[in-house]
Amino acid sequence: MALAQTKGASIEGIVTVVPSQTEDNSLLDLLTESERESLITHTGIRYRHIVPAGVRFVDYVQKATEILCEKLEWSSDSIDVFITVTQSPDQPLPSVSCDVHGKMGMPPHTLCFDINSGCSGFVYGLYTVYSLLQGLNKPGARAILICGDFSSRFTDPQDRSVKPVFSDAVSAIGIRFDAHSDTISGYFNLETVGKGFDAIKVTPPDAFMRMQGIDVFNYTLRYVPDNIQKLITYSGKKQEELQMAVFHQANRLINETIRKKAGFPEEKVPYTLYEYGNTGSATIPLTLGCAWNDGYDSSWILISGFGVGFSVASALIPFSPKVFGLPVEL
Amino acid sequence: MQDLTDIQQFIDFAEKELQVQGLSPQSEFRKISSWSSLNALLFISGVNEHADVLISSADLASCTTLGDIHSLIVNRIHGFSTN
Repeated sequence: MALAQTKGASIEGIVTVVPSQTEDNSLLDLLTESERESLITHTGIRYRHIVPAGVRFVDYVQKATEILCEKLEWSSDSIDVFITVTQSPDQPLPSVSCDVHGKMGMPPHTLCFDINSGCSGFVYGLYTVYSLLQGLNKPGARAILICGDFSSRFTDPQDRSVKPVFSDAVSAIGIRFDAHSDTISGYFNLETVGKGFDAIKVTPPDAFMRMQGIDVFNYTLRYVPDNIQKLITYSGKKQEELQMAVFHQANRLINETIRKKAGFPEEKVPYTLYEYGNTGSATIPLTLGCAWNDGYDSSWILISGFGVGFSVASALIPFSPKVFGLPVEL
Repeated sequence: MQDLTDIQQFIDFAEKELQVQGLSPQSEFRKISSWSSLNALLFISGVNEHADVLISSADLASCTTLGDIHSLIVNRIHGFSTN
């Protein structure tokens, strides 16, 4: 168990970009009609956004970053930290972050690197950025965290377990640091269950993603509710005070089981599975952007990511972004 | 809530989850027409909901019949094996 807390940072805005091209699970020819109905009912997933062949991941990252900067009125030369969480870069090296840094003309002092992480990646990325900002201790420092994948690159068109679930998206999260603030910006519980390595993996020789759905269900049920309860206890907060609980959008069956085990009411747990599917590390920021509205008070929320690794990461953060909204279709 | 340690209730549960009639403890679950990756997950989820037992893919691989799964559940509940 890695329980930790950070100070001084806050999320200023979230922008998510998705391909406009969608695939409809109600028309999926891999399944019979009754299987398609059952799939949509139990996974909650109707549409998946899939990038056309030849589209580069880095271009989506750059576009999401540009839209975020425009909405926050941040210039690219004002970015102090730029971190990308992905498992589907266009090439093994150099990093996506360095590529975008060059394309957008960020300054030499911008701290840039990539993190290889999937479904828990937003929470791991947020902890990394918050910690880096605390280390920099620069008043008003700005960071951009990118989370997303083109999972369709790893999808076997004949795989009945993987194909109906995964979707492509990239989120850009703008984070600002207030060096004079002693306010806690997050409580984190970051865990790894490496014996679950085989539950989701890309395997040679075909390089397609294979998923043991039953094992994903088992690891999730065994570790995620406990991870959340330990986090809440560590924070000293009361569960009923939380404005919302946003889980990684795995599938509805898994998520509803977690929600019930963790004791959150339906109205506090938003879903974006129907329209956007499982977009890996982008699911939580994508869902936050969709579910948040101006009517909410500035208040604490729970975020919880879990999956490939097997990795589990939850956080309690204060959340009142200036920029949020539905994903932008490209 | 069904008592899945009771073999008849377990078979009733399996028939409901897999939407098929005429099952018995000797039924080989992989040969049931409605057995699929999604229905297997729903079945495992139902076992967890009713019996608070987690069955892994390795557990399932060691079973052939519904009776084997039932024995696994009974053993887990009575502490004969770690969950």
